[in-house]
Amino acid sequence: MKKRGKGIACMFYPIGFTSYPNPGSAFVKVNQDGTAVVFTGATDMGQGSTTVLAQIAAEELGIRYEHITMVTGDTEKTPFDLGSVASRVTYIVGNAVKRAAHEAKRILLEVAAEKLGVSPDGLCAGDGRIYIKGLPERFLEISEVARIAQMGKGRPPIGSGSFNPITTFLDPETGHGKPYGAYVFATQIAEVEVDTETGVVEVLRIAAAHDCGKAINPMLVEGQVEGGISMGVGYGLFEEMVLDNGVVKNPQFTDYILPTSLDMPEIRVGIIERPEPTGPFGAKGIGEPSLLPTAPAIINAIYDAVGVRIRELPATPEKILKALRETDQGKA
Amino acid sequence: MKRAIILVVNGTEHSVEVQPSDLLVDVLRDRLRLTGTKKGCGTGECGACTVLLDGKPVNSCLLLAIRCEGRQITTIEGLGTPDSLHVLQKAFIDNGAVQCGFCAPGMLLSAKALLDENPAPSEMDIRQALAGNICRCTGYVKIVKAVSSAARTMSGAEGGGR
Ligand code: FES
Ligand code: FES
Repeated sequence: MKKRGKGIACMFYPIGFTSYPNPGSAFVKVNQDGTAVVFTGATDMGQGSTTVLAQIAAEELGIRYEHITMVTGDTEKTPFDLGSVASRVTYIVGNAVKRAAHEAKRILLEVAAEKLGVSPDGLCAGDGRIYIKGLPERFLEISEVARIAQMGKGRPPIGSGSFNPITTFLDPETGHGKPYGAYVFATQIAEVEVDTETGVVEVLRIAAAHDCGKAINPMLVEGQVEGGISMGVGYGLFEEMVLDNGVVKNPQFTDYILPTSLDMPEIRVGIIERPEPTGPFGAKGIGEPSLLPTAPAIINAIYDAVGVRIRELPATPEKILKALRETDQGKA
Repeated sequence: MKRAIILVVNGTEHSVEVQPSDLLVDVLRDRLRLTGTKKGCGTGECGACTVLLDGKPVNSCLLLAIRCEGRQITTIEGLGTPDSLHVLQKAFIDNGAVQCGFCAPGMLLSAKALLDENPAPSEMDIRQALAGNICRCTGYVKIVKAVSSAARTMSGAEGGGR
């Protein structure tokens, strides 16, 4: 018989650890044609950090995203970053890029202020222009300001920035302290169908709601969550590294099973935005958190469907059948 | 014992000397420098090495190069170029279907083979056609979406596909 059930799982996850130094850094230069270059050690592995960091630089400088060139991950040319780990790049390096861009912008604002006869604080940058707050028709093109800055004033519009959430080692006695800069929250709901004769679980649907502070790039956030869910489905149902005396016994995709396009359920992703005061434009992180609630939600759904608690992942058909038999015998 | 053979890749004839045991994926990547084709597992399990052989998707890590003489081989380099993307490639970009991109060349060629046969696939058809191509990053959501949007574009715009 096939039985359906629903399960829910919630999580919170820390972003930007502080128990050790956790720095990221960036350089920014604005060119005379109004474009800019960002240099950072942050490395994009496909999660989209280069795109997001370019968006952050563009927003801060007031120029178009297409006018940002990113130089990343080259240790010869770029300033230090700790790494694309711990769901930290948007939060940490995003802040570093924003600071570097802000410093370059400050030079542009000071130079433009003189020309426009107002104080730098009375100016804004946007749409490739620097304009008087509330009077957008009084503006200078950023390209022109950059040219005046470096060739007229001898002040090339460059900036550097780094960010390190204040390191606060934990109390060695109690283990207490403030170990992270920010936290994200999420809930996922899974609906499954369990075949009581074979023990096979099919995940029918997953709905996911994830807080990331601010989705700098909603499509990339969705992509991270969808990918995380596929890892969570694998973790919950298929993926198991079998070790024998330290030797991996299933080092192949025929016996270490990843979800294929046929194993993945319908997925709905909801993005929750509660801006984080310490994040760049309110952003936190999304990478790892995306996969955390998936397996527990599936396990809860299995319980809802057939009344057995699987306490060891993955929930293979063998384990489910065994648990079903045990409960049957308990009843008999 | 080496033998000179002619491989027709993306419509161009290449003369290469191969050992009878040389795999197509290695000849494409290491000899013809067509490194768009990826080698993941090397044992026919992941689909990263998918190329089209006479229009059908095959795992080039399971094929002897010598067996491909005289047949039409299409690799990702033959699908489109940065200046002139194939509709599928554009759909992958527009839909965010590429993350690390390691699966993308194989995905795109499997998808092309599908659309060549079935211009109006259902979501299930697409999932079935891509089931031999493993993706670790995307959960397949945006890949499936990209393929169905490409199918719509190609059937909407007469001759829009190539
Ligand atoms: S490399 Fe050929 S299937 Fe994995
Ligand atoms: S995008 Fe990374 S494997 Fe598919």
